[in-house]
Formats: sequence, structure tokens, C-alpha cells
Amino acid sequence: MSHTDTTPTSGANGSYDASSITVLPGLEAVRKNPSMYIGSTDQEGLHRLVYEVVDNSIDESLAGHCSHIHVIIDSDGHCSVEDDGRGIPVDEHLEMGCPACQVVLTTLHAGGKFDQGSYFRSAGIHGVGISCVNALSTTLELDIWRANGHWTQRYEQGNPVTNLERKHASKRRGTRVRFLPDPSIFDTTEFSHAVLARRLEELAFLHPGIHIQFDDLRQGTSDVFQYDSGILGFIARLNAERTPLHTPPMSIVHKGGDLEIDLALQWTTAYGEEISSYVNSINTVWGGTHVNGLKRALTRSINAYAAKAGLLKADNGERIATFDILEGLTCVMSVRMVEPRFEGQTKTRLTSRGVRDVVDDLVTAQLDAILGADAALARVVVGRALDASRARLAARRASDRARYTARDIHVSDEVYQKQFGIRSATWHKSAVWIANEDLLAEHAKAFEMPEGARLLDVCCGSGVVGNSFSDRVSEKIGLDITPEMVKLAGERLDKVVQGTVYDIPFPEASFDIVCTREVLHLLPNPGKPVSEIFRVLKPGGQFVVGQILPFSELDGPWMYRVFKKKQPLIFNMFQEEDFRQMLLGAGFVDLKMTEYNLWESIDVWIDTHETTSLHRHEIRDLFHNAPAEARAVHPFEILPSGEIRDLWRWCIFSVRKPE
Amino acid sequence: MANLEGLETHKHLKDAFAEEAVTAYRYLYFAKIADIEGQPDVAQLFRDLAEGGICNAHGSLDFLRTEGDPLTGAPIGQTDRNLHASLLAESTEFSELYPDMAAVAHAEGFPDVASWFETLTKLKRAHVQLLREAIARLERGQGPEEGGE
Repeated sequence: MSHTDTTPTSGANGSYDASSITVLPGLEAVRKNPSMYIGSTDQEGLHRLVYEVVDNSIDESLAGHCSHIHVIIDSDGHCSVEDDGRGIPVDEHLEMGCPACQVVLTTLHAGGKFDQGSYFRSAGIHGVGISCVNALSTTLELDIWRANGHWTQRYEQGNPVTNLERKHASKRRGTRVRFLPDPSIFDTTEFSHAVLARRLEELAFLHPGIHIQFDDLRQGTSDVFQYDSGILGFIARLNAERTPLHTPPMSIVHKGGDLEIDLALQWTTAYGEEISSYVNSINTVWGGTHVNGLKRALTRSINAYAAKAGLLKADNGERIATFDILEGLTCVMSVRMVEPRFEGQTKTRLTSRGVRDVVDDLVTAQLDAILGADAALARVVVGRALDASRARLAARRASDRARYTARDIHVSDEVYQKQFGIRSATWHKSAVWIANEDLLAEHAKAFEMPEGARLLDVCCGSGVVGNSFSDRVSEKIGLDITPEMVKLAGERLDKVVQGTVYDIPFPEASFDIVCTREVLHLLPNPGKPVSEIFRVLKPGGQFVVGQILPFSELDGPWMYRVFKKKQPLIFNMFQEEDFRQMLLGAGFVDLKMTEYNLWESIDVWIDTHETTSLHRHEIRDLFHNAPAEARAVHPFEILPSGEIRDLWRWCIFSVRKPE
Repeated sequence: MANLEGLETHKHLKDAFAEEAVTAYRYLYFAKIADIEGQPDVAQLFRDLAEGGICNAHGSLDFLRTEGDPLTGAPIGQTDRNLHASLLAESTEFSELYPDMAAVAHAEGFPDVASWFETLTKLKRAHVQLLREAIARLERGQGPEEGGE
């Protein structure tokens, strides 16, 4: 392959033929250092191959020449992408002396998209292109229907092994690329159905009208993604499980000029925010200048409205902070622009200068108009932000108060009642572990008492732990401080008493077994409740307690910061040795522990009123920048979608009161 | 350079080192908040200032290197000395500094702060072990990386 300097050639009159293919340097380097071009050689890099080919078809669609894209994953690991576009040019490329399609397939950064004449606002502007897919594939079969013929050519590891051949006459048009990723390059060549389906659906939402068929022959499924609703439909999909505060979503559209915006916004009763942003269909997972512009516009516009409507307390200079405005927001933002600049080859953050101010101005102007024209909508949106802002300040005051009262034996009951009372409404959805049946079964397995035992579930929540012992005990009694929880647990336990674990309202030796879970870390002076539990147990009785603990001392400080930001009521970051000492120190004997590791998406777990928006962001940042010593012992994963999954180390302790 | 032992300037170099180090880490903390608030320009300013702060802290350490560790007074300079000085500092943090702080936090009624200091105490114990192992490897004449099987 020869190296050729960048020579912009122009596709005269917007035609798409060999003369509109621009040639940049060759692609030997791609196989040598694949991560430089596709980001990584893990599954994410593997999927990027599919995206690159699909992006080419999307470009054809944007140029108005393609309406159907068909993606097939064969059972033997081939991926094929077919479209009904114009077909890659097959005529001779004057400069290279071979068919233009071969130039596109074998030359790095060659393609119509590098010349503004052929494609406007192409997805792959600084993308790696189809030649990288070719370079990183064991075999690649190219089929082109164009110029009254069906043309084929075959490649191996990026090199042509046949000449471009006209098989027969055909009136069809389009391109099919069928490739087998090279297992000597990739850690895995197993495509993920879920990840590809998600991306193809996303593309269908971003390009209303386009018909994308996805056949996965490995599992015999065929899905069709076609949406006329565009990003408004996308928002509806994202908010399917949430309760919107207003319908329909706000829509802000700006066409023409150097920058086009299609934006949909909808606030829900959720606490987290979800901003999905795209630049020329590329998912900018880490946002960038366009998202910063949006955030500024929201802050400007909503504060301006609130001030004008007299909703802000002017005397203390009240102003709604950006993260309060973002609380509960679901947003899809699609930007189209010429020559966007991204950070890194995987294009996850837009860095183009100037975009922020343009987006800010365009969005502010339209948002001002929307709020000005619809007083009811404005009340909902501005009211939501004000509530979030005032709740955050109130929470800060509450935690200050909690700190102050900590000088006494324990935090005032009121604080716990308030926190868990609010959360009781969606208790089982507020964390995956609460109703996880395998975890509950682990607790039940620890049961050692004879049948017919009398059980007390302390700080019982909804009573699921006590309920897990159902078939072994004769009577299940619950204890909780929060009236809402007492009511909730009543559905599962025989009787529920409202009261505090610091002073359990039962006489000595009342129960055969006491259970609780993930509670003692929330209590100052946890030795006191443990001794209360000891007191109400009969001699020989059993205490079963589950607790999330750090994997070792190395992830302790990091986990402390994560947990404290999630839940300000944390008073103890126990480590295994502390927990053992606390139980044995209270007089318990016969200690046994089993460990159960459970994956949990932190998005669920941090989406509650206890966690402020600032803290939610800080928690994410702690995962993204976890210190090496914590990462070495504590497994967690950050998915391409940005979702963070953490592995929780559940330790289930069983101890006995001496006979 | 003349011996700084016992002079005001020696103390001032240690103060300057601490001041700049604290400043730099404070700025990095502020930068994160600015990022979250959607103020990338301010975040970048803080990051740039932090980078300068770290350079400045190291500038004072350039002078102190021949005088002794600003934290422990132990000799520093070459890696073997630096490891020993680090072991001394981490040992003190593990055995005295953080346990004492935890005790005071308990006494003053701040169990969560006490738990934080206790969590740090345990981490420091792990650090002491890591440093001991590194020193042992060095003394056995092996590099810090054992690599391979």
C-alpha cells in the first residue's frame, strides 16, 4: 500500500464518484496499534467495527440516498451491514489507479466524508472509517450494486485477494459489507446482542423514518427499529419507568446555519438526571461543550423566569444552582455540525470551541419563549428546580442538626423517620439488594433454630428479611422507628411494633432468633443496639445480621466517601474485624460468616432523596477516579453507556447467645 | 548550601511545602465541583493552578531534600532513604496519629468522623506492610518489581 499525502479533491457539483474520494495516509499502523484507532480491543472496540460500517450507511441516509439498513450477525461470527444507498463508487480512482471502493477499503481516512462536497455533517468526520474495519477483519466481503451491475471483492486482513469483479447486471443500488473480526486482534469476537440492539435503536430514534433491521441468527431474533417520533419518542422510551411531571416533553429545534440542534427535555419525579447527547449521531457519553452550553442555558433561563415571577427570595439573593435544575431531568440532545472536534478516538466528549456559547444562546432564547408562553408548564419546571434547591439546603441543615445531636447517645428519631419515611414509598425500588431473593435466601440458610421459633426483625424496613424465615418460625415480629415502614412491614410480618433499637420494647429473653440487615452502620454507638439484641434473645438464641463491608482495608476510605455521600446518616464504616469484635464484645459466641457478592447498578442506588445531585456526581467521579489500591481489591465496572455497576460484598454473620 | 538546621528558613521551607501541597489538592477538589456545576473554564483554571502548586511544593522539597523529610525529619534523597522515611511516617500515622484523632472524635461526639479516622488507620497499616515489603526487596538486591512467575 502506498502512502499518499492529503490531497483534497472536490466532488464537483455534489456528485459522488471516484473524484470525490479523498486519500489520506495508509493503514499498516492499524493492525499494529488497533487501540489507537478504535479505542480498545475489548468488546467495545469490537462493536466499534459495526458502528463504523453502520455510520457509513447513516451518512448515506443523511445525504438523502438511503432508507433501509440491514444488520445481520451470523451464527459463525460474521457481521454484515447492507444498505440501499448509492453504493460506494466503483470507477477508477485517477490518482490511485484502482477502483475507488478499493481505495476506501484499504486506505486510512479515505472516503467521501473527508471532503465537504459529498457529505454534510457526517458521523465519521474524524472517524476511523471502514478501512479500519477491513484491516482488523480476517475476511471482508464487499458487495456493491451500482452502475447497472453487482460488483464484488474479497479482502483478507485488509488486503484485496480478488479484483473488483462485475458479477452480473443489476438495477439495484446499495452496499453490503460482511466481515469476520480477527480473533488475533480482539480479546473477544463475540458481539453483544443487547449493546448492538441498543445502539441501532438509538440511531433509529435519531434518524426518524430510517428503517433498521437487526437479525441475530445466533439466537434467531429479528428486530426492526423505525421511529417517526424522533427524539421525542426517545424521551418517552427513556422515561417509560418514570413519572413525568409534564407531557409532552419540551422540544427545542434549530435548523440551518453551521449548527443544528434537536433537543427534547422532560422532568420526572426521579432524582437522578439522564442527559443523552449526540453530535452527528455519535453518542458523546461524557458530554462536552454542547452539553455545557445546554446547562448554562437552563440555568440562565430558569433563574430569569423565577426572578421575574417573584419566586426567588430576593432578600437573601437566592439563586437556583445548575444541579438542582438538572435533578429529575431526562434529556436527549442531538447536534449536527461541520467538523466537530472530539477528545480521543472514541469520541466521547465534544471539545469544539465556540459551541457552548452558540448552544447557550439558541437554547436560552427558545426556552425563554416556551416558559413565557405556558405559565402552567413554567410553574412545574421552575417549581421542581426550586423544590430541589430548597430541599438540598434543608437536607444540609438536617445533617448539621444530626451532627449536633450526635453528642447525645444517638441521632434524634425524627431524622431517621423523615429519611426512611420518604423512601418507604418506593422502598423495594430504591436498591436492588432489598428484595434480591438470592441474598434473602443466604440469610435464611443461616437459620439454626428448631422449628416454631419466635422471631424479631429489628429495623425491619419492609420486613423482607424476617419474611425469608417464614417457613421455619411460628411468629414473626417486626420493630421499626418509622411509621410508614411499620405499615409496610405489616404486609409480611405477623405484628410490627414502632420503637427504637436502642431500647427494644420487649423484656429479656423474649425471642429465639433476631435478624437485621444493613442497619448498624447507620447508628452511632452500634454496640448499644447489639447489646439490646443480646438482651431480648433467649439463652442459646441466634442473631443473624447482614452487612455490606469493604473487601479489605485498601478500599475502606474510598468506600467510606462513596457511602457517606449516598447516605449522610452513616456513622460507621465497619471492616470485617470491627464487626466480628463488636458481636463477640457483646457476649455472643459461635460466630460464623458467609460472604455473598452481589452486582448492583449504582444508578438505582443513588437515585433517592437522601443523595443530593452534587453528591451523585461526586459518587460517579469517585468511581471514575478510584485510587489504584481500591480498584485492586474492589471490583466494579463502568459500562459504555456510562452506567456504573458495583460489586457489593455482603457478609452474613450468625452468632449465638451462650446457653 | 549551608546547613539549615534550627533556622527559621528551614521551618519556612517546610511551611511553604505544606502550603503549596495543601493549596494544590484544595484546587483539585474545587475543580471537580466546578465541573459538576457546569463551569469548565473555572475547573480548568483550578486544575492549572493546582499543577503549578504541585511544582511549587516540589520546589521547596528540592531545598529540603538534603535537610531531611519535612514530615519526619528522617534523611531522604535516594530511594532507599525515601522508603524508610515513608515507612516511619506511615507507621506513626497508623500507630499514633489517626488512632489518637479517632479517640478525640469519639470523645467530642462525632462517631462518623471517628470512623473515618479508624478507616484511615487500617489503610495505613496496609501501607506499612507494603513499604516493609518494598524495603525488604530492595535490601535483598531485587528491584521493586518482581515480575514474572
